[in-house]
Amino acid sequence: MSKSSLQCVLLAFPSVLASTGCDPGVAGGPAADASGGPLRVLATTGMIADVAARIAGPHARVEALMGPGVDPHLYKASEGDVRRLEAAVLVLYNGLNLEGKLGDILGKLARSKRVLALSDSVPRDRLRQPPEFAGHHDPHVWFDVALWKLTVGPIARALAALDPAHAADFERNAAELERDLADLDAWVERRVAEVPAGHRVLVTAHDAFGYFGRRYGIDVVALQGISTAAEAAIRDVERVVEVIVKRQVKAIFVESSVPRRTIESVVRACAARGHAVTIGGELFSDALGAAGTREGTYRGMVEHNVSAIVGALR
Amino acid sequence: MSSTVVILLVGSFVAASCALVGSFLVLRRLALLGDAISHAVLPGIVVAFLLTGSRAPLPMVLGAGCLGVFTVFLVEVLNRSRRLQEDASIGVVFPALFSVGVILVSSLAAQVDLDTDCVLYGDIAYAPSDVLDVGGVPIGPKALWTTGAALVVDALLVLLLYKELKVVSFDPALASSIGFSPVLVHYLLMAAVSLTVVASFESVGSILVVGMLVVPPATAYLLTERLGVMLLLAVAIGVGSSAAGYAFARWYECSIGGAMAAAAGLAFVASALASPRHGLLARYLKHRRLGARLAGHLVLLHLSGRAAEGERRGLGPRDLEARFRWGRVRTARVLGRLEAQGLIEPAAAGLRITPAGERAVEQAGTAALADRR
Repeated sequence: MSKSSLQCVLLAFPSVLASTGCDPGVAGGPAADASGGPLRVLATTGMIADVAARIAGPHARVEALMGPGVDPHLYKASEGDVRRLEAAVLVLYNGLNLEGKLGDILGKLARSKRVLALSDSVPRDRLRQPPEFAGHHDPHVWFDVALWKLTVGPIARALAALDPAHAADFERNAAELERDLADLDAWVERRVAEVPAGHRVLVTAHDAFGYFGRRYGIDVVALQGISTAAEAAIRDVERVVEVIVKRQVKAIFVESSVPRRTIESVVRACAARGHAVTIGGELFSDALGAAGTREGTYRGMVEHNVSAIVGALR
Repeated sequence: MSSTVVILLVGSFVAASCALVGSFLVLRRLALLGDAISHAVLPGIVVAFLLTGSRAPLPMVLGAGCLGVFTVFLVEVLNRSRRLQEDASIGVVFPALFSVGVILVSSLAAQVDLDTDCVLYGDIAYAPSDVLDVGGVPIGPKALWTTGAALVVDALLVLLLYKELKVVSFDPALASSIGFSPVLVHYLLMAAVSLTVVASFESVGSILVVGMLVVPPATAYLLTERLGVMLLLAVAIGVGSSAAGYAFARWYECSIGGAMAAAAGLAFVASALASPRHGLLARYLKHRRLGARLAGHLVLLHLSGRAAEGERRGLGPRDLEARFRWGRVRTARVLGRLEAQGLIEPAAAGLRITPAGERAVEQAGTAALADRR
């Protein structure tokens, strides 16, 4: 093989890196928005984008990287996402490893643009963590409406810092949204109270509803852990069936991101033990429903989940 | 440096380093080693997590790197035992390691989100955003450094050990007889493969690496029979596919790594169709040429037999059609060609063989007899 071609590559390499060294990194940053026009805000999940859009009103263009029904585990960035990321002046993400590697990288972007991990707004002692792995928190904070309300203030402050002219609007919208979320929180509590105390057991496929159960007094039993690498073991199915039969649970739930098959095997195993359990419906776990539908908003998603759970367990 | 330039450079570095080491994998029938490593690293990241309690990139890459080297080592040990084929050696090793990883996750770390997709595999889309710091000074995208370093290592390996690698790939017995250890050279190559693969997984994700390791070398393999040319072609095809894939991803707004790997796939299809020696098109044309020559010979033999009987009135196209069951169009084409070559000529009631035709039959007969001897 010709040596000269490879030597060319070897010689060219350091100069390429040297030229990146002086580069400030990603273009944009707050200064880039002095031109006027709406702020470009980029959220990772639909839940975050919905909250941010309510606070920003007409003063920002809020986009979500992960569309309806996209499991954050399965999200793959597209070429357009690279440019959306560059164009955004404010990036909002969940944190706690929900976004995996993307989360690490967003954290590093903090040097060149405003980046906010919403889970940072939640006091550490209110985060769930597995007893054996301290520090590796459960990321599904949005299912506790009271916790999710804590993210509103920091988003409004970040927007106000980027666009001080509309700070009053952001503050007003944020206050209104906080009232709405407090209402929603109280509504969920009232609905859950319709279920007799002994029946408050939520059986789902993967462990996304821990915060929901803790806040609203429902025991959560999940077939799988948080990681999707390990498939449900026979032992897991037996453990879940044991709980269902013992507590006479009426319905269990499927999620869009986990195969229906696993939950169906639980239904059959219960039938074999002489206990009839139905599938109570599909819950939204890591993504919102389609845009333009009721489930396409944070509020609609919570209402859908709670109505399905209460309707089936009552 | 704009994100487009970073992505194109990282894509080209990955494509080039994968093409260099992947060419030897394809030649040694170990092409699926990259895919195997992508699964086999799971226990490495679980153990790294259990030891450090962290899901940060460095322990994950180190854990994965150790398992990558261990995977190629086990595959090589099985290969050298001569009891298994290369594909079966790979097929035995990686499910074994992957299943150990699944058992570890489900029994020890089910409450922590720990899979290769979320803690190890990067995405080339993030390459421009992930800037490396040295003492607080940004020194450019990390992926550019890691994939660039892998390319330098692989290029040095191939440049310095070119002759040795060539002999080892084609004739291991000769290699040991002329005085260097094929085992050592081979392990150096395999170590380079696993480091390239794991470092690239962390920067650009699995599909791009697994694709670039196999497809450009396989494409180049169809186009040439010389190792040096194959290596250069594989690098060129890989780099070209990254650029074309990026353009497609930009136009269609889709996954960049996926589009780059798909472009390499298209390059393979194109060369499988159009390669000058092994291509389907070349083979089809050759087949047709041979078929036409054979048909001509059959007609000449047929007419020649008649001449020997003294039957010189000629046979019509109808008689030949009935004799060979070729249909009118094909018969006309075969006869037209023979007539143009002056091997047959019109006669009273049809066609007859010319003296030149008789000579051609004789020559073909002698050639066939020579073949048989």
